[in-house]
Amino acid sequence: MGSPIALKRLKQGNHYYFWVGVFFFIVIGVVLSLYFSARQLDYTWRWYRIPQYFVYQEQVEIRSEIDGEVESISKKGKEVVIRVKGTEGTESYAAPASALGFEEGDTIYYGDVLATYKKWRVGILMEGLWLTLKVSIIAIVFGILIGLFTGLARISSNPALKWSAITYIEMIRGSPLLVQIFIWYFVLGTLFNNILANHGIGQIPPLWFGVAALAGFTGAYVAEMVRAGIQSIHRGQTEAARSLGMTYVKSMRYVILPQALRRILPPLAGQFISLIKDSSLLGIIAIRELTKATREIVTTSLQPFELWFVCALLYLVLTFSLSMLLQYLERRQLAV
Amino acid sequence: MIDAKNISKTFFSHSTEVKALVNVTARIDPGEVVVVLGPSGSGKSTFIRCLNYLNVADEGSIIIDGIDILDPKTDINKVRAEVGMVFQSFNLFPHKTVLENVTLAPIVVRKKPKDEAIKKGMALLDKVGIQEKANVYPDQLSGGQQQRVAIARALAMEPKVMLFDEPTSALDPEMVGEVLDVMKNLAREGMTMVVVSHEMGFAREVADRVIFMDEGAIVEVGTPEHFFINPTHERTKLFLSQIL
Repeated sequence: MGSPIALKRLKQGNHYYFWVGVFFFIVIGVVLSLYFSARQLDYTWRWYRIPQYFVYQEQVEIRSEIDGEVESISKKGKEVVIRVKGTEGTESYAAPASALGFEEGDTIYYGDVLATYKKWRVGILMEGLWLTLKVSIIAIVFGILIGLFTGLARISSNPALKWSAITYIEMIRGSPLLVQIFIWYFVLGTLFNNILANHGIGQIPPLWFGVAALAGFTGAYVAEMVRAGIQSIHRGQTEAARSLGMTYVKSMRYVILPQALRRILPPLAGQFISLIKDSSLLGIIAIRELTKATREIVTTSLQPFELWFVCALLYLVLTFSLSMLLQYLERRQLAV
Repeated sequence: MIDAKNISKTFFSHSTEVKALVNVTARIDPGEVVVVLGPSGSGKSTFIRCLNYLNVADEGSIIIDGIDILDPKTDINKVRAEVGMVFQSFNLFPHKTVLENVTLAPIVVRKKPKDEAIKKGMALLDKVGIQEKANVYPDQLSGGQQQRVAIARALAMEPKVMLFDEPTSALDPEMVGEVLDVMKNLAREGMTMVVVSHEMGFAREVADRVIFMDEGAIVEVGTPEHFFINPTHERTKLFLSQIL
């Protein structure tokens, strides 16, 4: 303390905290101005309505399907089994023990509620989130495979492989993803499903055309990264591997690709984050992912402000987790 | 062991062509240590790289251990497994530990059991004096240590010939000695070696024969005594006067 350096640091510290303060002032200012402009609009915030779109309790009623009388109520673990004896036979119903509405010997008419209980159900936002996650994960896996293969084909000396790879990459990168989704669903989808129908095989659901569009789109970008990654590895590495008697495939697998993949991990992370966000386009081909799910709730609940914020937040959770995961992988690899 | 006859190699860059090798003929017998000398750009490195097909000779024939490596039917990977190569810039695999560098090829090419490869690898690291660094990564080693690991990596394949492409040129002067010592020991054990080098002391002490190249051709071949004391060609005399 008291040394010039410590003094300087203190001074810097004051400046630092001032600007930290400015940052929070801006954030709070934006939130407040949003809130007050919404009040001008007479918008009523109903945040309490949001959780039901994640999980909700459903009222379940068990009704008798015959006339008769309750013959027996027997415990079976946490459940009870109610046996109703009618003129034409006996029916039995299972229900949680707490939900009972009748006693043994009571007379039952058709349609009487034997028991009621509540059951947790997954809400539509949760389903949308899950679908977005599922589509993204499958598309990322296929995107990596396509990208790896195409990237290798791109640097091959075989013109068939090389030119196919270039054509594919340029076509994908040169057209909008939205158009590609339409082509997959309305053109290729129609063709595939027609052929399948002609052979009496079941139809492919739209989900898979969506996955194909996303994976094909991502694959082209991953291919270019893979190519750049491989080309960034010094030629001496290949020479050393080959001079030890490794085949091209072995030198790629054990020497070149591990180094190249480590280098392209950061841009790959960015690409996969884009993919998660781009999956919001799949709503247009009737895949009820997060964005479409939100839009559906908005039209029925009329709570657009809360719902769109929640929707954005959920995407943020997905992308942020992914970027954390990839950062962790990167750190772990650098540590070795 | 190695029989190269009339090999030629031309590189094309843009519109100019560079004749790297012109009608080079050389024979290396089992157990022999041959040092290839010459000014830079004389084709020494191209010559040694042609011997394990890292460069492909345009013409001529190269027979290694009875196998014609320029024959399209030859499985070059099998030949390379028998020919160890040490590079100027080491080219260790940076994502693998020292020990993994040494055991990788025996495991994936020779299909050796892992424990056996590790045992052999540790013995080789001991031989090049670097066993205590077995589990560190190459970037934590000095240049001399890296090059010794590179030698151990090549030896792990139990090659019949070792090719050294300027193994000490990228090293700080104080590390040259440790690498040359390893190579001298190897020569003493009877390993067949072809060494491209600027280390005259090494050539004089260890070589059975010296090949002097200039402008892609072999100018003079002889024992070190002949070469250093009594060279025949003017070009050789000029070269020696420039470097000694």
